Amino acid sequence: MKAGITSVLLAIILALIPCLPTLAADTATVTITMTGVDEISITLEPTEWPLGDVSPDTEYLTSPPIDWCTLTNTGNVSVNTFIEGKDARWYEDGTGKNYYWTLSNTNESDVDDAVRGHKYMLWFRVHGDTDRGYVLITEGESEFWPPNGGSSIDAGDYKQFGLKLLTPTFLYGGREMKTTITISAVAA
Amino acid sequence: MIRRIKLVVLVAALLAVFLPSFALAQNFGVSPAEVRIDDLSPSEEAEFEFTIRNKDDISHIFTMTTYNPEKSERREGRAEFPDGSWISFSPQEIEVAANSKGTVRVTVAIPSNQEWAGKDWEVWIRVAPESMDLLVANCYIRFLVSTSKSVEAGSKTVLIVGIVIGILLLGYGAYYSRRKAKLKHLQR
Repeated sequence: MKAGITSVLLAIILALIPCLPTLAADTATVTITMTGVDEISITLEPTEWPLGDVSPDTEYLTSPPIDWCTLTNTGNVSVNTFIEGKDARWYEDGTGKNYYWTLSNTNESDVDDAVRGHKYMLWFRVHGDTDRGYVLITEGESEFWPPNGGSSIDAGDYKQFGLKLLTPTFLYGGREMKTTITISAVAA
Repeated sequence: MIRRIKLVVLVAALLAVFLPSFALAQNFGVSPAEVRIDDLSPSEEAEFEFTIRNKDDISHIFTMTTYNPEKSERREGRAEFPDGSWISFSPQEIEVAANSKGTVRVTVAIPSNQEWAGKDWEVWIRVAPESMDLLVANCYIRFLVSTSKSVEAGSKTVLIVGIVIGILLLGYGAYYSRRKAKLKHLQR
């Protein structure tokens, strides 16, 4: 009997041995690395496009077309930037849910009116970007600059761009529609 | 024919107003641009702070969220962060006065599971100003998290309590066996 108890005790002591380092250690080492002097910052100028009254199924370009807005890297690190759009909404009803134009995620400008319906389209074009020309703005984030792994925007550097809008083929008149285009920056 | 008339009426209306007002450029910066945490054990948590600098002449409200970038946007060898709910912000939303700074504390807590050991993840922290402008700038902090190869044995308190309970049970077992043996001996 005694031998049995001693064996169980020994087994437990042996099982506890691996835990001893855990008990002995006062702290676990977690390394946090952050460079405090790095600041990420971009500015956009202007941030509004006062279009006024628009017609259905009509294209509108910013003026000037491709250097209407300036994105400047005002931080001190090189950045990669991304762009995403949203549905355009009529907020005067207090909710923004009752009437909206869906942002098209595909180049449907040449398809049948009935398919495009209340969808609208937005494009951007960066000054000097002859390869891509006008690029569709979608709901998901896509590359703004650089395209296809090119050079990032260095600190102090800037890019100019313009927008193009195609209104829906059907729309209700007299409603002020609002949308947001988000341009995001991350350290390259 | 009816469709055509409808369209003509809508065209005649020409009343939908798209984005009617001007606004000033937004100007803010986030520091640091990149944070790296190494050797974080599953079951442990780590914290760091970042700063939002509002360079505008008016106060702004900023909201913090996490974002999982595409593989092509992540650092080499980094995988998608499994669950954004493991990261919390204090505060989640902050108002930063004109030409001032605000500080946000970020806590990352990895659940205790061997599945999360030895991983290299990347997730982005999005800092977004509240805005109704057409163009809005957001900034991302690259957040790189690496976990240690093994799961921590658990907190020391739990371990110590476990050992104490184990010893008590063992003691009681030994006492019970001895008593039983004695009783058997007396019965003979």
